[in-house]
Amino acid sequence: MTERDTDAASDIDLVRRAQAEDIDAFCLLAERYARRIYLLAAHYCRNPQDAEDLSQEVWLKAYQAVQTFRFDSSFYTWLRRITINAFLNHRRSSFFRRNGQTMSVQLLQIDSEEQQVFFESSSRSQENIYNKLLFESVVNALAELTPAQRLAFLLRHYEGMTYEEIATAMNCSIGTVKKGVWRAIGKLRARLSPESDAQETLTSLASEY
Amino acid sequence: MHNCKETREIFTELLLDGMDFRSDQALSAELSRCSDCRSEFEVLSATLRLTNRLGETAAPAEDYWTGYHSKLRQSLVKAQAESSTSRAKAQRHKDELGPLFEPLRPRAGTSLFARFFKTTVPVPLPLAVAVIAAAALFLSLVIPFAIRTARKDVQQPNTTTVVRVPVEVPVVQEKPAEKIITRIVYRDRLVVKATTPAKDATRAESTFAKSQSEAMPSSLAGFKPSDEVKLTVIKGGVPNEK
Repeated sequence: MTERDTDAASDIDLVRRAQAEDIDAFCLLAERYARRIYLLAAHYCRNPQDAEDLSQEVWLKAYQAVQTFRFDSSFYTWLRRITINAFLNHRRSSFFRRNGQTMSVQLLQIDSEEQQVFFESSSRSQENIYNKLLFESVVNALAELTPAQRLAFLLRHYEGMTYEEIATAMNCSIGTVKKGVWRAIGKLRARLSPESDAQETLTSLASEY
Repeated sequence: MHNCKETREIFTELLLDGMDFRSDQALSAELSRCSDCRSEFEVLSATLRLTNRLGETAAPAEDYWTGYHSKLRQSLVKAQAESSTSRAKAQRHKDELGPLFEPLRPRAGTSLFARFFKTTVPVPLPLAVAVIAAAALFLSLVIPFAIRTARKDVQQPNTTTVVRVPVEVPVVQEKPAEKIITRIVYRDRLVVKATTPAKDATRAESTFAKSQSEAMPSSLAGFKPSDEVKLTVIKGGVPNEK
């Protein structure tokens, strides 16, 4: 199979091959959706190492459960359901026990070691600083939410899911989902408002749009 | 009429959906009427755009994904190996125990009921001997007991068991009525007008004879009346009886 054929292979074909224990096919699926899953995990965990572990766990669970995929929805919808369950069941072991005080330590680590992990390599160092401040503000705002509220906001904002879909996936009421999303928006707005410390970042970056 | 709360809810949902407010003329009209809503919309729009931008900028660099996918591949290979091992173990158990249940597997044309009575199952000899011995022991214990029970039932059909239990019952015993015997002895009055000593002696003898005759109440022989009346009362008599 040539590379062009691989690119053109549909998710269904790859899933069928993965169900026949073809690891290469499953890795191709992972390459297609790994970024989305990782970003969700990064916002949910607010820590790159936890995000990597959690996203890897999601892919491992997906591979173990791929035999149960019945092709009644898209692969990504099915994968997102596994992701949500993995997020909700994820043990609050390492980062989830941390509080806002450790966030600055984490940001220092990003400065020294994982800058390339979190931010695309760019010649504009000023933008990286803005991004860093912005990330800190958003992460701090999301840290004030419960994991369920944070997940509801991520699914609504980044995944574009409706309230009904989120409520079904998270096994809760629509009102609970709406409350979580609006609470997250309120926190973000307070953190990124002109009165906050990130005013300059907000102003400068918003002016680009 | 402009409602700030409703307007903010509407544009927040539109922003979350990634829609441009300029495409919604009704919302634009509402925002043009209220400066507070307009400023709120600007702030919220900028906030959500920034979070979107964060999603883009927080993505790891391309070289990160090489290591990520190689790590994922290793995990998948390991998981597959573990799965293969567990499947092989399950298959081994199936191969060992499978022939035992092979005759009972559903087949076309024969019912399970018919197969249940026609099927022969290979059993190891020690196990068969043990099963037969246990069955024989069970029957040797159960059958005599059953026969004994049946005989008892035949000998005593519908008999009721009488149990004798001594019970002490208080009995009121009436005192025997004691009779009072009253005897009235009449004696002839003796007119003592002129008595002589000889007569006194005779009288004494007659008194003695009388006392002797009283010892024989059943017979009045030799009874001589006297002037004295002697009343004898026997104790223990009925109180009303005099």
